[in-house]
Amino acid sequence: MKPQVNIAVVVDVIGALSDKSLLNGNLCMMDDGTFDSTGQGTPELCTVVAPGQVVQWSALAVDLQTPVEIKSITFLGPGDGEDAGARGEDSGDGDHLDLNVWTGVVPPFMAPGVPHKYRLELQMYEGEHSVLRIDSPALMRL
Amino acid sequence: MTQQLAIIVLVDVGNALASRTLDGNTYLFDNMKLHGSQNEGAGDLVTAVNGSYWSDGSQASEQVLNWLPYSLGSIPPTVPRGYQAARGREADRQALAELTALANRPAAISGEAEAALTRIQQSVGTRVRTTARTRALSGQQVLDVTGKVVADHSQGAHSYPTPIITDIFGEAVDEKVMYPAEYGSPDLVTDGWYWSATVDTSRPGTFSYTMRIQLHELLQRADEWTWEPVNLTCESKLCITMEPRRNGFTKAGMGYLPIVPGAFA
Amino acid sequence: MTTKPRQQKATPKRPISITAVVDCVGALAAQSTHGNLYLYDTNKAGGSAGFGTEELKTKVKAGDQLLWGVLALECEAFVAIEDIVIDKEVCEPVRKVYPGTDVAYWIGTVKKDDVAVVPYQIKFRLGTQVEPITTTLSPALVG
Repeated sequence: MKPQVNIAVVVDVIGALSDKSLLNGNLCMMDDGTFDSTGQGTPELCTVVAPGQVVQWSALAVDLQTPVEIKSITFLGPGDGEDAGARGEDSGDGDHLDLNVWTGVVPPFMAPGVPHKYRLELQMYEGEHSVLRIDSPALMRL
Repeated sequence: MTQQLAIIVLVDVGNALASRTLDGNTYLFDNMKLHGSQNEGAGDLVTAVNGSYWSDGSQASEQVLNWLPYSLGSIPPTVPRGYQAARGREADRQALAELTALANRPAAISGEAEAALTRIQQSVGTRVRTTARTRALSGQQVLDVTGKVVADHSQGAHSYPTPIITDIFGEAVDEKVMYPAEYGSPDLVTDGWYWSATVDTSRPGTFSYTMRIQLHELLQRADEWTWEPVNLTCESKLCITMEPRRNGFTKAGMGYLPIVPGAFA
Repeated sequence: MTTKPRQQKATPKRPISITAVVDCVGALAAQSTHGNLYLYDTNKAGGSAGFGTEELKTKVKAGDQLLWGVLALECEAFVAIEDIVIDKEVCEPVRKVYPGTDVAYWIGTVKKDDVAVVPYQIKFRLGTQVEPITTTLSPALVG
């Protein structure tokens, strides 16, 4: 088992801002975990992890001259709404998103065999239409 | 990987050649306005280079700068690079076809033939000589800003070739803050060569640098038209800052992922 | 080779090129050109002002040919002029294409002299967005 699993969040920024959506091929998620993750290359990536592993998310823009940063990653509860306790601290200052390192350890109390979906929010430049999100990717413990 | 910085150098070539200076005729932009670059679109750009470091002090991100020169009021860079040669060939092909048609016509009135020949001669344009340093432009016809071949160079209607950065030097390079070099690229927009640099962001502060830029002027020398290079310089600045990285979930060090215990139990 | 006789009348000189530099990502994220558009023209010597702003004032005379072009700040992003909305009595730009390519430019001739200030709007197509974005502040032609 590898100590770290890397999840790459690859975005076509101009496509996403033009469509106002991360669907239609504008978002591609992939991981390098040793277990059988499903949905590789799509926004429905489900990464299989084991307790104690470190998971790291990195955002990358297809056009290197366009900006994209992860604004937040929030684990969703069993209902469709968010579980308030599971929310990471709100990053109020949009200016320094590039200083954030999105890593965390898979906790031992994570229920096995159930996909834990998370909301991924991406910030592309600034402005009213600069933040896009999807709720489909997930982590699943063996 | 962080965004690469692109610095666009837009030169008003016509006015720069007339006044023999880039001051007031060069407009600089970068894609870092969000991170604090100042004076976008003017001649005194200060490019913000935001570095970051890990808790042990080591540099966490690499900042890459790329320079793209453009000529204001010329054929845009999105037009394929082989365009000039292709237009030249097209004009030649058309001229040959017209000459053939003219030759095959039954004995024409001499005035008519002469007029037709002059017209063909104009549409072919005039090939321009070059010096050793402007070899890239050799043998090509001169185009105007709408892509048509130019017949009479004295009218001044020609589209200028893109300015070329021939060197980047100055304080930022001397202080070993910036390491510029020229790279080859298959990207047609940059015509095969472009200047790129990596930045050592462990030295916060403002540093100036100078670009040597080569423009080309179309001059008549002894009955022949040639492109002659004109070298000018232009200054700009980098403002380097550095901040520590932190965990996105905890805003401090790394911890458990924020999954509520027993959420799905 | 015969020498060309010196021409007496003012011959048509190069067109005045108006270039719009657009920050495509900024404009799409804000759905507005405000703060993301920089205009320039090649007639600084003739008296144009407002270089680098969204309110460029291009100095023109009757008979001047104007050529509008656009440049993306992110060199691989797509941007194009969809339309130029200007008083037809003063100028009627039409869309043309560089022969043999699909890169477009807009060109028009100034019809009258003594126009005071004629503001106009430019509509841009950005990225893959279908709806064009119209300029917030207006550049103008100045006679």
